[in-house]
Amino acid sequence: MNTTAASPMSTATSSSGRSAGKSVSFAAELQSMMFSLGDARRPLHETAVLVEDVVHTQLINLLQQAAEVSQLRGARVISAEDLLFLMRKDKKKLRRLLKYMFFRDYKSKIVKGIDDDDLLEDKSGGSNNSNKRQKIAQDFFNSIDQTGELLAMFEDDEIDDVKQERMERAERQTRIMDSAQYAEFCESRQLSFSKKASKFRDWLDCSSMEIKPNVIAMEILAYLAYETVAQLVDLALLVRQDMVTKAGDPFSHAISATFIQYHNSAESTAACGVEAHSNAIQPCHIREAIRRYGHKIGPLSPFTSAYRRNGMAFLAC
Amino acid sequence: MRIMALPSQLCREDEVRLPHLLPPHPRVGPPRMEEEETYLQLYLNQCAAQDDFIPPGLPLLSPVVPEDVYISDSCNPETAFNSHLEEVKETSGDFSSVDLSFLPDELTQENKDQTVIRSKHEIEENCKTQSLQRRLPLSSQQDVGLGLHSSSSSESHAPLPPGGANSVHPSEKSNSLSLASITPMTPMTPLSECSGIVPQLQNIVSTANLACKLDLKKIALHAKNAEYNPKRFAAVIMRIREPRTTALIFSSGKMVCTGAKSEEQSRLAARKYARVVQKLGFPARFLDFKIQNMVGSCDVRFPIRLEGLVLTHQQFSSYEPELFPGLIYRMVKPRIVLLIFVSGKVVLTGAKERSEIYEAFENIYPILKGFKKA
Repeated sequence: MNTTAASPMSTATSSSGRSAGKSVSFAAELQSMMFSLGDARRPLHETAVLVEDVVHTQLINLLQQAAEVSQLRGARVISAEDLLFLMRKDKKKLRRLLKYMFFRDYKSKIVKGIDDDDLLEDKSGGSNNSNKRQKIAQDFFNSIDQTGELLAMFEDDEIDDVKQERMERAERQTRIMDSAQYAEFCESRQLSFSKKASKFRDWLDCSSMEIKPNVIAMEILAYLAYETVAQLVDLALLVRQDMVTKAGDPFSHAISATFIQYHNSAESTAACGVEAHSNAIQPCHIREAIRRYGHKIGPLSPFTSAYRRNGMAFLAC
Repeated sequence: MRIMALPSQLCREDEVRLPHLLPPHPRVGPPRMEEEETYLQLYLNQCAAQDDFIPPGLPLLSPVVPEDVYISDSCNPETAFNSHLEEVKETSGDFSSVDLSFLPDELTQENKDQTVIRSKHEIEENCKTQSLQRRLPLSSQQDVGLGLHSSSSSESHAPLPPGGANSVHPSEKSNSLSLASITPMTPMTPLSECSGIVPQLQNIVSTANLACKLDLKKIALHAKNAEYNPKRFAAVIMRIREPRTTALIFSSGKMVCTGAKSEEQSRLAARKYARVVQKLGFPARFLDFKIQNMVGSCDVRFPIRLEGLVLTHQQFSSYEPELFPGLIYRMVKPRIVLLIFVSGKVVLTGAKERSEIYEAFENIYPILKGFKKA
């Protein structure tokens, strides 16, 4: 990883996709999102810019891979199936995505029942919209599932550890807030990429691609973008926690070499030096998190995950 | 036929309900059946005058009115039932904050005093009046214990099915009942936890069967406020202004009516639609009226910390603020879905009967209080 580059993830595709003077930027929204995910009250702008870059790069790469899969099956648009296919290896993340899709179905069903007009519109629409996403997922898994593992996920009711941790963190965070702060927090939590669908579409800039994603695929991409941000914040918080040497911690002297390098480099010291004062996540935390995530460890690491061949480890899948 | 069938049904329900009530009512069991029958007959005779057919199980009569109120009611309950449930003007005094729209007009006016008197017998000073009003709807928990005496009136109230409770009003015997003998049965939650808030019904979806094939094109052409677009949807969409509702009428004769704010209104609206169809020349009848869904809403008036709620009630709640700002709580008993918002607004849906909404809200209220955001 190039430590001196502004972003460890920058690739040619990413920078060409975002031409100089790019107008669409999610930095402000990202700051809000990071606050809702566990960052300080006012996340740093640099961190937000970095996160935006990371997310954008990852999404573009994901889209390209999805386009390849789409071409393989001869489809004209990138649809949910392609993205599900890319995620098939990681059960936990796939489960989370499925749960999200089902919740979307469920929520529209309920809200429809409440609102008079919605009910009529839906009936007039004619098609049976309820559980649409669930059906798509189920049909797809039926077709590709060889071992029955994927289909088993529909009945599976395990607790999602990561989600649990996030919930607990949010609970801790909100416990000490007063009602005004809590109102702000709630508003931040409601921010998502799917709320700003058109801006998201522009930001992604699929115009150069031959095969474009359809509506549900865009929903999933928005979700994956949010998941990436959430993962980044989770990992960065972990890194920050690690950085603080606790008295009596037997492993404090066993941190990795590259980590020490980060610590010593002029750039990071200045940034991390203020870490003790402001609680915000610093860009160095993010970079370290990504480095660790992409780091191939274990004896079989060269042979894992097909989509690592281009060196990119997707955070969301 | 139906009259014979009802008492046994009522008796059964009564027996089912007894274990929940405390103290147990001494006079319980079969001997009351004859009394119930007479009251039923009385009531049903009135109904027959209004309706084409006798509603099975008395489902849509005025919503639950507590035995309390009726026992002390010396007036003619028949009149109370004949009226539709219109919005009631706010009662004065203690009840000003509580909305009594589910009670018929005459009733609330006459019983203002009586409820005040009665409330003095209540245990809790603070919310006694409110709890009364609040407990009005809790028919399932209504005390059979009231009216030990000739309150065959009260007894006949108790066993009635929740939604249609108290339809039988013994006009004659109520006078002899004294208030002192009324022992209020505490509902599941102790009085100190009562909320004093009554959810308002916002929407009722019901279905009915007109029992004849319909020519939708003819209906659309001749009826005003009707739209029909066969390419989009195979039903006529008709609207009436009073009660403000919308109906989907299908060629099979089945009809869906939405938008009413009370059971009576929904029924009335459905009948009006049936009447419209009838006037257009079809042999429409009015069968199988059934309420499919009821939606209520209310405000607990304090902000709620949803993060805490979703953590402690994981099996029942889902909260994805990116998707929907409210927490979706799936209550098991009664089977109601509640949408809980940070602001303190609560929407309850999925009920087939009004009492389910009230019960669900009473169940959730103490939980919400626990997560009050100061």
